[in-house]
Amino acid sequence: MIVLFLKDLKIFLKDRRSVLLTFLLPIALITLFALAYGNMGKSSSRSRSISLLLSDLDSSDASRAVITGLDSVDALTLRLCDSAEGLALVRHGDYPALLILHAGFQDSLLAGKSLPAELLYDELREMEVGLLQPLIISKLFSSFGKELIRKRIEDYLAKEFPDLDPALRRKILEDALSDNVAAGGEAETSALKLNSVQGEREDENSPGLVQAVAGTAIMMLLFSVAGLGSSLLEEKESGTLRRLLVAPLSGNSILYGKMLFAYFISIVQLLVMFLFARLVFGLNLSMNIPALLLMIAATAFAVSAFGIFLAAVSKTRQQAQNLSTLIILIMSAIGGSMIPLFFMPSIMQKIAYFSVNYWGIQGFYDIFWRGLPLIEILPRIAVLTGIGVLMTLFSIRLFRKNILKLI
Amino acid sequence: MITVENISKSFGEIHALQDVSFHIRRGEIFGLLGPNGAGKSTSIHILSTLLRPDSGEVLFDGKPLYSDVQGVKMKIGVVPQEIALYEKLSALDNLLFWGGLYRMPRARLRNKAAEVLELVGLSGRARDPVSEYSGGMKRRVNLACALLHDPQLLLMDEPTVGVDPQSRNHVFEVIEALHAAGKTIVYTTHYMEEAERLCERIAIIDRGRIAAIGSLEELRKISGITDILRIRLAPSQRALLPQIAESLKALRVDEQKGELEIECQNIGKELPQIIAAVQKAGGQIESIESERAHLESIFLKLTGTALRD
Repeated sequence: MIVLFLKDLKIFLKDRRSVLLTFLLPIALITLFALAYGNMGKSSSRSRSISLLLSDLDSSDASRAVITGLDSVDALTLRLCDSAEGLALVRHGDYPALLILHAGFQDSLLAGKSLPAELLYDELREMEVGLLQPLIISKLFSSFGKELIRKRIEDYLAKEFPDLDPALRRKILEDALSDNVAAGGEAETSALKLNSVQGEREDENSPGLVQAVAGTAIMMLLFSVAGLGSSLLEEKESGTLRRLLVAPLSGNSILYGKMLFAYFISIVQLLVMFLFARLVFGLNLSMNIPALLLMIAATAFAVSAFGIFLAAVSKTRQQAQNLSTLIILIMSAIGGSMIPLFFMPSIMQKIAYFSVNYWGIQGFYDIFWRGLPLIEILPRIAVLTGIGVLMTLFSIRLFRKNILKLI
Repeated sequence: MITVENISKSFGEIHALQDVSFHIRRGEIFGLLGPNGAGKSTSIHILSTLLRPDSGEVLFDGKPLYSDVQGVKMKIGVVPQEIALYEKLSALDNLLFWGGLYRMPRARLRNKAAEVLELVGLSGRARDPVSEYSGGMKRRVNLACALLHDPQLLLMDEPTVGVDPQSRNHVFEVIEALHAAGKTIVYTTHYMEEAERLCERIAIIDRGRIAAIGSLEELRKISGITDILRIRLAPSQRALLPQIAESLKALRVDEQKGELEIECQNIGKELPQIIAAVQKAGGQIESIESERAHLESIFLKLTGTALRD
C-alpha cells in the first residue's frame, strides 16, 4: 500500500500541470469569490426569511396571540422551543433567528411599557433576518401596538392635564393614534431588541471570506480527487492494473493505496488553501486549531472517498470524467460551494444535506465564523467521516465489480 | 512444474478455452502458438491466477494453483502483452516500484534492478522517463519488470508485439539467457519463427482447443508433414496449376509464382511419384526445392486455418 502511495506521489509530482491545477486553480477561484463575497455579512443587506424559532417565556394570552399571529404568516415557518435550545440552533446556523418573548410581556403591554421581546439572530444570515424583522414587528403591533399607544397617551394626558374636557381628550387621542399608525413603525421598531448570537469578537472572520475559501476549496478538492480516482481506470486501460493484480497484492490494497494518496493530497490541498487565505486575506486560522485540523481531516476523508467512489462507479476514464464533472458541479451548487446556502430557498437548504460540500462548508463556518467549540462541531465531523466510510464501502464493492472485471 | 487438466473458460457465449490440458516441465521454454483469439492470453491469465477456470484444474508443483495464490504469485513473473509501465517514471523507478511489490529488501532490489537493466541493455537510459523510449526499449523494460523477484516461472504473453527486429533479437537473447539460467518459460506467440527459434515444446492452440503438443519434430510427426516439396512450373504451363494441385492434394498454391507446396512424410520415397504425376498431367517442372516442414504448414494441417488469418 505504501509502495503504491509513493509511486502515485512520484507520478503526481512529475506532472507539473496537475500540480499547478491542484493548487493554483483553486487559489485563483478563492481570490475571485473572496473579492465577490468578501464584504458579505459585514454590512446589512436584504434577503429573504424562511424559519423562525420562538421561545415564549411569558406564557400569557398576549404572547399566545403573538404566536398565533406569526404562525398565520405563510412565508414564515414557526417553531416553538425553549430559549437555550433555540439559541444553540441559531448559533449552529440551523435557524436564522430566535424570538424570545420574555416574562412580563403581557404585563408590559397592559402597563404601556416597552415590550420585553428580543430577537437573537445569526449575523451570517442577517439578510433573512432583515425580512423577518418587519414581519415580527407588524404582528406584534398589529394586535397590541395601537392599544399600547392609546394607553401611553391616556396616561400622559391624565398626568399632565387631569382637568381636560373628556370630549377634547377623545379628539386628541384619536388624532394622535391616527398620526402614529400612519407614520409607520419607526418608534415601534425600537421596541424589538436585536442581538447577534455571535456578539462582538476581535478575531472575527468575514463570513464571505469563509464562504469563498471553504466553498471553493471543497469544490476544487472534489475535482482534484475525482481526477486522482480516475487514475484507477487509467491503470486498467493501460494494463498496469492487471500487472498489479498478478503481484502479491490484494485488489483491496490497490484501492486503499489510491485512497491513501487521494487522502494525502486532499489534506495538503486544504492546508495550502487555508494558509493562502491566511496570508493573503487574513483569515484567522488560530480560532480553534484542533477543530480545524479535525475538520480538514474529516473533509479530506469524505472528499477523497467520494472521488474514488466516482471512479469506481465508472467503467471507463471518459465516463468517470463526465460523471464527476456533472456530479461535482451539481453537488457544489446545491451544497453551497458556488452560492451561499442562505440565498437559497428552504427546500434547497434541505437538499444541501445530501452533498459533501454542505457538511464541509458548514463545519468551517462553525470554526471560523460561529466560533463553536470542538464538541459542537463533532457532529459535522462525524457526518463527514460517515460519508467517507460509506463511500469507501461502496467503492470496494464497485471496484470489484467494475474495475477488477478485467476481461 | 505446471499441470493443466481439462480446463475450460467461457465469457458469456464465447468459449475461450475448451477442455485444455498440457504439462510444462521445469526449465523448458513452452510455447503456446495460435492466432489472435485462440485462447493464449486466457491461458496466461489462468496460469497467473488472474482468472479461474470454469472447470478443470491447474497444479503448480503438484498443488492446486489456488491453494496458495500469494505464494504462487511470488514464484511467477508475468510479461503482459501490453506495455504495463508508468510512462512518466524512469525505467529505474518502474523497476523499483514493481520489484517493491514483492517485498524485496531495498538494497537487494536496487542491485537486482541494475542487474536486469544490464541484462536488457538499458543501463545507460535507466533514469530517462519511459515515455521517451522507443517501442522496443519499452518492451525490454516490460520484460525486465517481471524478472526482479527472480521468479521460477516466467509467463510471457506475446512479448515482442510491435517490436523492431533489433529489439526483438535483444528480447530473444534475454529469453535464451534466462532459459540457460534454468528458468521455466511459457511463451505465447502467433509468430511461428519465434516459436521455432525459442520453444522446446509447442502447444498449437486454435479456437480454445489444443490441436497438438510436442517438439517441432514431434509436431511434424503428429501432423504427418515432415518435409515440404516446392515445385515451380514453367511459366507457359501455369494454367495447369489448379489441376495438378488437386491431383497431388497440394498444401498451398501460389499462382503468381507458379508454385505449389506438397507435404511429404518420406521425401525420398514420394518424390519420384510426385514428379511422375506432374508430368502425367502435362506439366513441365522448372525447379524443385525441399525443406523441413515449418510450423505454419503444420498449423495449417492441424487446424485447417493459416496462422496469420
